[in-house]
Amino acid sequence: MLTVRNLVKVFNRGTINEKKALNQVQLELAPNDFVTVIGSNGAGKSTFLNAVAGNFPVDAGQIFIDGEEITRLPAHKRANLISRVFQDPLSGTAGSMTIEENLIMALRRGKTRRLRRAIGSQERNLFRSKLEQLGLGLEDRLTHRVNLLSGGQRQALTLLMATLQKPKLLLLDEHTAALDPKTAAKVLELTCDVTEQQQLTTLMITHNLDHALAFGNRTIMMHEGRVILDIRGVDRSNMTISRLLEMFEKASGSHMNTDRMILA
Amino acid sequence: MFSQIALGTTEQGLMYSIMVLGVYLTFRILDYADLSVDGSFTLGAATATSLIVGGANPWFATGLAFIVGNLAGLFTGILHTKFKITPLLSGILTMTALYSINLRVMGRANISLLGSRTIFTDFAQLPLMDEYGVFVLSLISVVFLGAVIYFFLQTELGLALRSTGDNELMIRSLGVNTDLMKILGLSISNGLVALAGSYVAQNQQFADASMGIGMIIAGLASVIIGEVLVGTSSIGRTIIAVLCGGIIYRVIIALVLQLGLAPTDLKLITSVIVIFALVSPSFRKKIVSLTAGMKGEGA
Ligand SMILES: Nc1ncnc2c1ncn2[C@@H]1O[C@H](COP(=O)(O)OP(=O)(O)OP(=O)(O)O)[C@@H](O)[C@H]1O
Ligand SMILES: [Mg+2]
Repeated sequence: MLTVRNLVKVFNRGTINEKKALNQVQLELAPNDFVTVIGSNGAGKSTFLNAVAGNFPVDAGQIFIDGEEITRLPAHKRANLISRVFQDPLSGTAGSMTIEENLIMALRRGKTRRLRRAIGSQERNLFRSKLEQLGLGLEDRLTHRVNLLSGGQRQALTLLMATLQKPKLLLLDEHTAALDPKTAAKVLELTCDVTEQQQLTTLMITHNLDHALAFGNRTIMMHEGRVILDIRGVDRSNMTISRLLEMFEKASGSHMNTDRMILA
Repeated sequence: MFSQIALGTTEQGLMYSIMVLGVYLTFRILDYADLSVDGSFTLGAATATSLIVGGANPWFATGLAFIVGNLAGLFTGILHTKFKITPLLSGILTMTALYSINLRVMGRANISLLGSRTIFTDFAQLPLMDEYGVFVLSLISVVFLGAVIYFFLQTELGLALRSTGDNELMIRSLGVNTDLMKILGLSISNGLVALAGSYVAQNQQFADASMGIGMIIAGLASVIIGEVLVGTSSIGRTIIAVLCGGIIYRVIIALVLQLGLAPTDLKLITSVIVIFALVSPSFRKKIVSLTAGMKGEGA
């Protein structure tokens, strides 16, 4: 599904701030994989997702989706394959535009934008039924501006937008970290539902080790720009958080920086 | 006498509001302060008048003014998106280059259209249009262009343009080439500005190489005045607001001139209006909190 070979990204090359954020990252995802990504601050998790999404050119390595190389495609040309939800609820929606306008832009993800009226009654019905499934009462607020919504509502909407048109790969970067625990749980539940329903291939960064083991079928750990652990199958079902931390220390030769980490 | 002035002011206001519509597209929709406007307004006037003086059909000349305006916006857009020059500097570069280009187009510092055929003299030939022809033609143009922009902003392309100004990262991740959107917006905007320039020049029957100076500030002032007075609760309302803003701005200028200030003071007055409009929200908040505080003390 997703194949990443020897991916390298160096920020500020040739300056005193030079930083090798990705150091020969290798990863192979099977269709339908739901992989949780963990690692200390600055491990390169976000950089990895940004590289896959095409936010910046990488320095070396290759990225393939379903055998098609996308390493050098700009972000907007990968949009038909990849969709994303960011940590900041503000960054996944256009606040000055209405809920239905945001949804129609997502429904047309990766397609050519034409000079034709964007929203018709057919689309509106689709949006209403999809919003109903969120259970947040947004189905009656299609023409409200998104900046009137709460952070949790906005994040749920972003998740809906990301999956309205089935992507080949869904990238989630701590997408519940900015929400209160109850809303976060709700958004996570929606995430599970939709990934199951649509059989999505997903990469989800989280700082919650509990979530990392509870969700998905596979967990990878990053450290200093590398994937240092890849846990799946029986190994994973028998995994505990303390064993995970132990394995991290062995693999990286250092303590995991746990200040932002949620252990239980 | 008075009604003559009132009519003339309204006619001018309508023509300028075409320019304001263009400024709205960049300043509000794309969130891009585009200074090319000063140059492209004159460019439209220069193109139309020199073509008309050269014997061209005025309707054709007016249409061509729109297209050369498009090209000016295209140039600014390419400077910004392809060569990564800041929005302000890209606009200044185009504006400065256009100053020389406009003089080339006109061949001299000003052109008189006295006695020439213009879109307004043509329109005045229609029945009942000898007195109010300028007003009616300007009004039709403004309503038509306002409606076109309104419907455009509801299309898929229009939504992509609006979201480029709102959340560029998001709409790029949804597959829109935001560089192209910026170029498109700047191009339409400057086309409208140049079109306004060609109307104004044909109405006043002359074009002058410096007639565009300060146009961007006048445009911003009009956008802000309209938004404050009419409101921005929806796209349709905002478009009506900025069009009205263009007319109200002209009325304010006319009143100020009636008070006896010299036309050369206009730019100063406009800047004061913009400064006042930009600081007034925070200014108003201060007054409110101040009076609230005083009431609190009294209680
Ligand atoms: N645009 C950038 N310019 C320079 N350095 C960067 C940039 N983006 C990331 N880095 C650096 O690359 C390293 C990896 O950052 P990244 O954001 O990928 O970490 P992360 O694993 O997502 O961390 P966190 O858990 O804190 O989100 C960090 O040292 C960071 O400072
Ligand atoms: Mg991160």
